[in-house]
Amino acid sequence: MEIGINFTLGETLNDVQRLIQDGLVDYCELLIDNFLHVPPDDIARAFDVPLGFHIMLSRFLETDLASLKQLAHRLKPYIDTLQPTYISDHVARFSHQGRQLYHLAEVDYRQAYHAIKVRVEIWQELTGSQLLLENFPSILDGGRDAPEFFARLQADTGAGVLFDFSNAICARQNCELPLAAWDAVIRGNRHFHVGSYSPSILAPPITLDTHDAELSSDTLEFLYQHQEHLQDDGVTLTYERDDNPGYDVLARDLTRLRQHLTSQPD
Amino acid sequence: MPAIITTKDEDLLDALIDPRQQIDYQQDARAFVRIDTSLRVYWHTLFDTCPSLLELSGPEGLSIFHPFMSWAADHHLRMDWTLYLQLYAWLTRSEFRHRLNDRHAQQLVAAAAARWATSDRGSSAGVAITRQGRADLLVGWKCRRIDQGREIEVIALDTPLPPPDGLFGYFFIPDFELAHFPGWQHPDLPGMHP
Repeated sequence: MEIGINFTLGETLNDVQRLIQDGLVDYCELLIDNFLHVPPDDIARAFDVPLGFHIMLSRFLETDLASLKQLAHRLKPYIDTLQPTYISDHVARFSHQGRQLYHLAEVDYRQAYHAIKVRVEIWQELTGSQLLLENFPSILDGGRDAPEFFARLQADTGAGVLFDFSNAICARQNCELPLAAWDAVIRGNRHFHVGSYSPSILAPPITLDTHDAELSSDTLEFLYQHQEHLQDDGVTLTYERDDNPGYDVLARDLTRLRQHLTSQPD
Repeated sequence: MPAIITTKDEDLLDALIDPRQQIDYQQDARAFVRIDTSLRVYWHTLFDTCPSLLELSGPEGLSIFHPFMSWAADHHLRMDWTLYLQLYAWLTRSEFRHRLNDRHAQQLVAAAAARWATSDRGSSAGVAITRQGRADLLVGWKCRRIDQGREIEVIALDTPLPPPDGLFGYFFIPDFELAHFPGWQHPDLPGMHP
């Protein structure tokens, strides 16, 4: 198992490089579409560890094909130079009737399956790579269809799942989707995310994927249930943190995560 | 009218962007809170980036937020980076118009440039924006170094550019050098004609 950290903003480079030097992370996951004007060789020089790619704003389910082709063309030198361990993207609604949704919405997994399948095939062909697709931090009951959707999509297209453990906790708390519903998806994939969540301001509280705090005990417990699979060679687990809390906070949580996943069962 | 019962995000997409629709949902339901969560992101995107707007509206910002978001829904605004320019245009015709000043305007233009620089995935490296009556450009550059983020700068011009036809003009810059003026493009500002 390798533990990594997300890298989304240049301002955090010093902290991330220090985490690498101190052996607290084994790889980095770049939010690659934030860095498409940074020469690939400069990125290669900044990180002496393997890299994963996470794509945030391809909007590949919605954007026109010409724009998608152009983005794939711009990604290619980064893929060729940096040889990412994986390339991942999002199954979500980024807009509604042409209007941007700032808080992304969950797709209708049943109704949109075939349209999504076609787009996944196109996006994989354009990037020349297998895509991993992240599960959504579901809020409403439509999220209960997610495990079956991702398993079917993986079987039909070869696209894997970038399974986010804390997003699954959100879905359990919001729409009572049992964690066990994801067992087959977890066993069938090798690249994972974990982060923190927070309750909404209004009641009844819903659980929101926020990446702004240390990992919760139920997230750690969920990871521990899959400890054996996570410890396999080549399996990656990216710790996501977006609030830029500084080296000490990151180091503490990453150390706790590694100790938790390498501890012996009671 | 009975409250709308929904079980999927797909059923409440309109309400996620239009605050007038939230009252159609039962207040003690997840859907209501889910809509509130979505609307709060728009609120923070506007007021965290342009805190001077709160001087106009009061600390909660709702006297700007609700009518502006409703107007945005009525005019089907795309909610892209030009939203901040559209907000300024809306403010010039609102009850707040007499208290608008240059600082509000520059903060909104800077916010538009910053949002373009972080959200656009096209090949351009920068966007230059001007406002009617100003001789300078506010330029937003995308991240060009692995240890930095996007950059915003005000550029004074030795030779003034022709004024834009409307309240704002902008153009995209293909690389990290402001060498050529390709002519103004204009944001969609509903109800304001050049």
